[in-house]
Amino acid sequence: MTTASATLTREGSRLTVSPAWTVARKEWTELARDSRWRALIAVTLAMMVVSLALGLLHLGRLEREHQAATTGDRWVWTAQGPKNPHSAAHFGQYAFKPVGPLAVADPGTDEFAGSSVYLEAHRQNEAQFRSARDGTLGSRMGRLSLAFVLQAVLPLMAILLGFAAFAGERDAGTLALQLSLGVRPADLLLGKALASGAVILGLLLLATVGVGAGLAVRGPRAVEAGEVARLLGAFAGYAIYLVGFLALSFAVSARASSPRAALVALLGFWIVNVFVAPRVAIDVVRRVEPLPTAQEFRSAIAESRKAQFGHDESHPAFLAFRERVLKHYGVSRVADLPVSFRGLTLREDDEVGYRTFDEHYGRLNERLRTQDRLRAAAGVVFPSLALQPISMAMAGTDNLHHDDFIRAAERHRRRIQTAASQDLIDNARNDDPNYKAAPELWERVPSFHYERPSAWSAWRSQGANFLSLSIWSAACVGVAWRTSSRPRPY
Amino acid sequence: MLRAQALTKVYPGGTTALDHLDLEVQAGEVFCLLGPNGAGKTTTVHLFLNFVAPTSGHAFVGGVDSARDPLAARRALGYVPENVMLYGRLTGLENLAYFTALATGKKLKEAEGRDLLTRAGLPAEAAARPVAGYSKGMRQKVGIAIASAKGAEALLLDEPTSGLDPRSANEFARHIDDLASEGLTVLMVTHDLFLAGRCATRVGIMRHGRLVATLRTMGLDHMDLERAYLEASEEADSEAS
Repeated sequence: MTTASATLTREGSRLTVSPAWTVARKEWTELARDSRWRALIAVTLAMMVVSLALGLLHLGRLEREHQAATTGDRWVWTAQGPKNPHSAAHFGQYAFKPVGPLAVADPGTDEFAGSSVYLEAHRQNEAQFRSARDGTLGSRMGRLSLAFVLQAVLPLMAILLGFAAFAGERDAGTLALQLSLGVRPADLLLGKALASGAVILGLLLLATVGVGAGLAVRGPRAVEAGEVARLLGAFAGYAIYLVGFLALSFAVSARASSPRAALVALLGFWIVNVFVAPRVAIDVVRRVEPLPTAQEFRSAIAESRKAQFGHDESHPAFLAFRERVLKHYGVSRVADLPVSFRGLTLREDDEVGYRTFDEHYGRLNERLRTQDRLRAAAGVVFPSLALQPISMAMAGTDNLHHDDFIRAAERHRRRIQTAASQDLIDNARNDDPNYKAAPELWERVPSFHYERPSAWSAWRSQGANFLSLSIWSAACVGVAWRTSSRPRPY
Repeated sequence: MLRAQALTKVYPGGTTALDHLDLEVQAGEVFCLLGPNGAGKTTTVHLFLNFVAPTSGHAFVGGVDSARDPLAARRALGYVPENVMLYGRLTGLENLAYFTALATGKKLKEAEGRDLLTRAGLPAEAAARPVAGYSKGMRQKVGIAIASAKGAEALLLDEPTSGLDPRSANEFARHIDDLASEGLTVLMVTHDLFLAGRCATRVGIMRHGRLVATLRTMGLDHMDLERAYLEASEEADSEAS
């Protein structure tokens, strides 16, 4: 009976139990009788429930606001009446970013990246209405989220469960007595891992079930297959993270000279991992792969746009374009063109602008991806750097999802521009500067509709982070196994 | 059953805790190691348990070299340290059941557990109380019950009566007599000459990591033992100086 399987078998007339299972049961009994642990678990559960409830309330409020704003914006768009299409394109629309159901657990970058984009002629705007910018000081400090509880509080519990596993027993004298019985150290480790793992992963499972239940209450759409796959992805990431923390706690406990030394070392790592590393990593990757400031970025786009003609009819590019158009239609004067030259000009300006935007945003996004890769690599040492992107990606609140929304909004903006320019081309006369399109045109421009990337794409985007996290966790398990294989009894 | 062969332990820093110890304890024999602090008594016990690795020589438990196969050696041993430390939130019965299950892989029945604790001298009403409220003597008794439940072939006792009141020490000695009469091998480390004279078949006197004398206790009273202990110690001290 040296296996770690948690089984009871009959040998003759007596029940035999595996040593690991025996250790685990003893640990559970001790935990259950320790009022400090009962209180700690109750507080953690309360934090989970409160953060989840806050997340659900926040999600509900955002959805209602977006629904009202979308309806209002559509009404304003379609009620424009007869109007020049280009003026309508300047009048613009808003594209609102739908909030994914799992944002209840991890608001991610949404509060900072903004939730809507103003779609107007000639400009690819950034998202606006950022809670952290528009809100009070309290909202700038961040709000209690389930992700924070899982990323910060549960590892702390893993440390509190594990720091005394060997060092504490050695200090108390119980380790020597156990080892004197001929117990394999591996069985002690497995038993303790089984007991502590059940507590930590049990809390994680409760949190996951809580999120699932919270979403089920919101309606069937929230628990579709994609969301379940995302929830499983988040669970997997957090489970790997917490198993690593537990193993690290055992490893340090087995090596430390005293439980106090183990606790200090582990708390030091916890503070660096949860609070320091994410901030330092941002600064380091910014130095390694710097991004332009918003002002620099806009200026660079403006410089590129200057090379195009825009509304400048004396620009050499404009003159060249006019020549090409006249030649194409075989006429010598704009007034003789069978289509609206202004419409053609606006379409040309838009298309040249699209290439400029794509080029600049493409370069920016490539730099952002490089930053992501650097952060993922650092996740081998500080696992929160690998876990946070996984959590946000599964919740649909990371940069990749935000970029996807921005791209979709830009596609919609281009549809509006194309519709406006095409209407001008087809219907406006070159000698009529006051052309107004019929109100039906506004109806023909479809509402903005956005589908988030699939769960599979969220999983796929997190391969590097899953790899970093798994390497860290496996290394911790390996070190725990090695350090506890010959524990010092005294 | 227990055999030390040129067993030597030099700790890092150069302190020789045990210097070529040769010793054999037969089944059913109670062997007491006497000597002052630092004589190497506890190191001897720890070497049999392979809690520390020998620098040279061997410690055999029933023919098994404890350095080569520590798990097998430990499975044959029962160990009662100076302070038996148990889990304070578990009752005496639960502690016994836990350590027995670890040692044997068997689940101890409650009646068996109560019987073992009672035979070790623990008051019946104490068995169901959390160990946090136990005295040192009560914990020692649970330690003895654990060794009995384990079915150990040899018992290593390290200052087992240190800090016990005379009555508890006497009960303890009686229990050791019982175990030895059942064929158990006992190696006991103690400062207590009275206990050694009362329980031991033989005593070994240690000084500076060496076994300087071995005496049969039969026919010796407490005064004889004390005299022999002092003479052997003085001889060893003069040799060392």
